[in-house]
Amino acid sequence: MKKRTYKIKETLSNALELPKDIILDVAKVTLIGSNNVAVENHKGILEYNEDQIRVNTGSGILTIHGSKLNIKSILQEEITITGEINSVSY
Amino acid sequence: MIVIRLWNFFRGYAIIIVEGLKIERFINMAISNGIYIWDIKKLSYTSISAKIGLANFGKMREIVRKTDSTIEIKEKRGLPFMWKNLKRHKLFTASVLMLVVMIYIMCSYVWMIEVIGVKNIDPKTVMEIVNQEGLKEGVRKAKLDRHAIENRVLIKLPQLSWIGIQIRGTKATIEVVEKREEPELISKTDACDIVASKSGVIDKILVLNGDGVVKDGATVKKGQVLVMGTIVRENTETRLVHSLAQITARTWYEDAEEMDLQQIEFKETGRNTTHYKIKILDKEFGFKKSIPYNEYNELREEKNILSFGDYIFPVKLLSTEYQELVKVPKTLTVEQAKKRCEERLNQRLKLQLSEDAVVLDKKIDYFVEKKSVKAKISVEILEEIGVKKRIH
Repeated sequence: MKKRTYKIKETLSNALELPKDIILDVAKVTLIGSNNVAVENHKGILEYNEDQIRVNTGSGILTIHGSKLNIKSILQEEITITGEINSVSY
Repeated sequence: MIVIRLWNFFRGYAIIIVEGLKIERFINMAISNGIYIWDIKKLSYTSISAKIGLANFGKMREIVRKTDSTIEIKEKRGLPFMWKNLKRHKLFTASVLMLVVMIYIMCSYVWMIEVIGVKNIDPKTVMEIVNQEGLKEGVRKAKLDRHAIENRVLIKLPQLSWIGIQIRGTKATIEVVEKREEPELISKTDACDIVASKSGVIDKILVLNGDGVVKDGATVKKGQVLVMGTIVRENTETRLVHSLAQITARTWYEDAEEMDLQQIEFKETGRNTTHYKIKILDKEFGFKKSIPYNEYNELREEKNILSFGDYIFPVKLLSTEYQELVKVPKTLTVEQAKKRCEERLNQRLKLQLSEDAVVLDKKIDYFVEKKSVKAKISVEILEEIGVKKRIH
């Protein structure tokens, strides 16, 4: 049932060209260069270390690997992470 | 984001150190309670440092309790704390404030006036009139009505065709454009005579329009009519025409000069002293020192010592250099005196000659007397002497 509503929403957003991150409630990850990553629509952080940050999102757990990672700012809808980023993965 | 941070700066914020095992939970709870925290850094496995707005600090207590962590304020920052600090150092704060206010006040005055674009007029006369009209050093910028001053100066100085006052910083720049001296133009439809501008002997007269009254070789006086614009013929009505003619004439120029053989010259001895003074506005501050020489050259120099780009403040360093001079009596030889006479005469002659004049003959006679040499120059010149004069 849940999968079906997701499918419907996805088709709808495709058809109407609506931004998916709003319709589907998934995260929008913006990587600026190699030392700044912003995650919109996150659902809280799960783990915070200098070399790894795990963020819960609507479409799974986002893992950011790197070194000297800092949370520049954190708000309900957006989290900005700075530091030397090596990988961003689900 | 910067807006929030600026807001927090004004409200005040604290750098906190949170220690506990459930750091992530602590952060998540803070966000869900609407507490903005930023610049989170991991210090060790169990502790982080972060910044938090002062207003939110009270809300933290509950979160700290729920997550079993400890919280510690490391540093307080922002305007409220700065203010507190400043209050403690009252004198310092007051003097800094005074300085800022002083600079602000000083910046709203005009401290320097510069005149540019003058060619024939003395910049001092422009400056004087501008001063009279209210643009002076030390005048408030807000009080100045530039357009009114521009208009009044234009009325007072008819030689100017345009004036623009520009104020940048504490400096007022007055740019002027001078009128070109226009000759009295007589349009070709107006009737005119041609008269002699100088006395002389007509060398060649070529009448293009009008009636020539003089012939080649005639001696004419200054102001004499050479070509008549009024044409009178028998059996027809009298006509008035615009006369045109090329008239060249030989004219003579004479001048005399006398030079004493005993001359006194001033020579620099090489010794000099410089006195310094500080000038604020029009007042000079400094010690009065006597000048140790009897005869001296005085060289004054003013230098702005307080200026930042366009913001110039009326503090000047006045340095006056006195160069000692010594009187040297000198006896000129007759030849030297003659040479000097000739130089002066030639200089004056140059000023007299018009552009198209040709010097035909130049003769200088010297009369050597006991104590002086006299020189007399007579020059024969070939030049245009015709000047149009309107018939009224």
